[in-house]
Amino acid sequence: MKRRNFLRDLAVGGAVLPWGPRVFGGQAAGPAQAPHLAAVEGESPYLITKEAVAALGGMKRFVGRGDKVIIKPNIGWDRTPEMAACTNPEVVKALVELVHDAGAKSVTVIDNTTNQAKRCYVRSGILDAAKAAGASMPYVDETRVKRMALKGEWLKEWDILMDVLEADKIINVPIAKHHSLCRLTMGMKNWLGAIGGARNQLHQKLDQAMVDLTAFFKPALTVLDAYRILVRNGPQGGRVSDTKLVKTVVAGTDPVAVDAMGAAFFDIRPQELLYLKLAQERGLGTFELEKLRVEKRKI
Amino acid sequence: MKKERSKKYRVLQVLRIVSQAGFFGLFLTLFIGAHYTGQDYISSTVQRFFHFDPLLALVTLIAARLVYVSFVFALVTVVATVVLGRIFCGWVCPLGAVHQFFSFAFKKTRFLRPPKEERASPAWKYYILIIILAGALLGLDLAGYLDPFSFLTRSFALSIFPGLAYALAGLKAGFYALGITGAGRSISQLLENWTLNATFIQGFAVGILFLGAIALNAWKERFWCRYLCPTGAFLGLLSRWNVLKLRIDDEKCIKCGLCTQHCETQANPYPNEKWRSGECVYCETCAAICPTAAIGFPLQPAPEKLANVSNVDLSRRKVILTTLLGLAAVPFFRLTPSRKRASLKLIRPPGSLPEDKFLAKCVKCGQCMRACPTNGLQPTLIEAGPEGIYTPMLVPKIGYCEYYCSLCTQVCPTGAIRKQTIEAKNKIKIGSAWVNKSRCIPYVLGKPCIVCEEHCPVSPKAIKLVEVETKLPDGKIAVQKAPVIDLELCTGCGICENKCPIVDDPAIYVTSVGETRSEKNRLLLQVIGETGEPGK
Repeated sequence: MKRRNFLRDLAVGGAVLPWGPRVFGGQAAGPAQAPHLAAVEGESPYLITKEAVAALGGMKRFVGRGDKVIIKPNIGWDRTPEMAACTNPEVVKALVELVHDAGAKSVTVIDNTTNQAKRCYVRSGILDAAKAAGASMPYVDETRVKRMALKGEWLKEWDILMDVLEADKIINVPIAKHHSLCRLTMGMKNWLGAIGGARNQLHQKLDQAMVDLTAFFKPALTVLDAYRILVRNGPQGGRVSDTKLVKTVVAGTDPVAVDAMGAAFFDIRPQELLYLKLAQERGLGTFELEKLRVEKRKI
Repeated sequence: MKKERSKKYRVLQVLRIVSQAGFFGLFLTLFIGAHYTGQDYISSTVQRFFHFDPLLALVTLIAARLVYVSFVFALVTVVATVVLGRIFCGWVCPLGAVHQFFSFAFKKTRFLRPPKEERASPAWKYYILIIILAGALLGLDLAGYLDPFSFLTRSFALSIFPGLAYALAGLKAGFYALGITGAGRSISQLLENWTLNATFIQGFAVGILFLGAIALNAWKERFWCRYLCPTGAFLGLLSRWNVLKLRIDDEKCIKCGLCTQHCETQANPYPNEKWRSGECVYCETCAAICPTAAIGFPLQPAPEKLANVSNVDLSRRKVILTTLLGLAAVPFFRLTPSRKRASLKLIRPPGSLPEDKFLAKCVKCGQCMRACPTNGLQPTLIEAGPEGIYTPMLVPKIGYCEYYCSLCTQVCPTGAIRKQTIEAKNKIKIGSAWVNKSRCIPYVLGKPCIVCEEHCPVSPKAIKLVEVETKLPDGKIAVQKAPVIDLELCTGCGICENKCPIVDDPAIYVTSVGETRSEKNRLLLQVIGETGEPGK
């Protein structure tokens, strides 16, 4: 064991110890008893991310030995973390480490950005964080896409990034933000960064496009970064006053449920979001959180 | 007589080639370095070369009537030239190195067979220099068109590197097709990492001019340096007092004429008294190839006679005539509507000086276009009139102004684009956005879009959404959110135009009106004056 890993594990172990019985109890009981959703609140984005994954039964539940794993944050904008336009770099870092520790063969962090890719990668802080944790972080090559049959209601086919297609497992790591068209952009909207083509034309039926894309991508895990959320002037904000500290991470395997829980941070009821309704009708998950086992923790 | 070439000068010749290669490499490194490196501010770029250029220093000083401190380095070149002659041309200039290399290649391939004696007059570059200086007196900056640094940087930025980027993209596609994904991926990462912009209006024309300048070497060795280069001419005028004078040892000389035949810049080493110190670039070729080692450059601190500076017939009459021609040419460059009324498409980079000062200072080097992360800065063709050809303008359809970027302001060698911090740059308005309601999707099709609003980088957003009713062809009414512009907030960055899904003619577009730098190209009247009194 490397000293760095040891120290890190020590820190994480120390952080989860107060909830030890539940964590280890949950694991002992097996994934069948694991919660559908875990929402962890705390001061450190890094630690709450690790705690949320632990609450779901640990990363080994989602990533197998030798897997090629894609982590897909939202790095769409040339904005620093305090603007809450891109996923928190600490959240990404924690996930990269967990995926590595679960025995993955490779971890790649990637997003098809809106502003200049390099600026987004660097200034979001994600490039440094992901590289430090041992992930590769290539820029999207718009020519390296494959036209895939999505069999969606609206999107019959679209260009998907080869890097994402080649992965064994995908982990979706969106940030919760305001959006003028679909009201909130979270996990389901995040898939627009995993595709190529004329993405701006998807806005003409954005909710449907989000559902069609969600049906295509099958993430092993969705981790919604709601540490600092963007409440106005989304999806890129521009002032710290556009953001709000919620200090929470929501993790789950049901992409609809994760987004539904995220809506609560904006005081929006899930059924108000068209895409959640369409997604539930399509059988992609449920926004009726009361029917799910939700594990809430505070560290 | 014993035939043996001079070892000393052959070594010097090799050193000169090493020096040229070194400076060309430095130029290339600095050139490539002018991009977003991961730091908001970049320090040393190719503009350092420009600051050593006395012609640009002088013309900027005269034309813009402004002292730009960085040009103090040009004094180094001036002093070096006065003392040592045009070593700058022979040992430093990267464009000179390019011409030298191709002259060599053309000679080796026998495309170029230098005559025993060259009769063409090297006077042209002096006339070009005179015209440039005369124009500068009246505020016209023509130096950039033929200045070697401007010419080289512009050619590299607008055509050579874009060509390279295209070639690399082709190679990448080839690798992908062959299944060599790793190599293809490396290329794609390099293209992104170095921001190799590949799309330029006039890219072809600029490239053809550059290749043409290179091809001329097949006709006359270092054609550019001999007949065209105004900087070389300027340095030639300065090199009359230098201490390195060519001397031929009459006892050793066998009058073979090799030195004069192979002189790179037509400095005419033989006969000795006809040697033109103003043309010599100290390439050491003559001394190195002399079969009897008869040629040397001993220290001789005696001033040359003016007639011997170049042995070109720069008679007083010709100088006066070209000066007058240069002055007379100025009005013709100004017969353009862009002086009278602002051109709507002429969106200058943030921090640009007011138009007349900008034109007097911009040396058309294209560095800003190289550094622009979105490829949005493009060479102007007609929008700014004849004196504005190759000056930068933002073409949002190609690329927008990246909100947190001020690279173009940092790499400008003359301060035509004033250096800006990111914070200062964010307060500058370069134009104003307009919605074309007869093309905008919500307005016309009654469908949702809001892509422009989503991308608007200022907070609060300059693009607001209002609900509009659209009568559809079937008579039904659709209600959608549609964009309206708050012109007080709009900076004119053009990302809305760039990202508009109507690709051919975006339904939202930016024009230059309202730009901070102009007092005339105004839009929002300051009805309430700063004192708070109305009507000021």
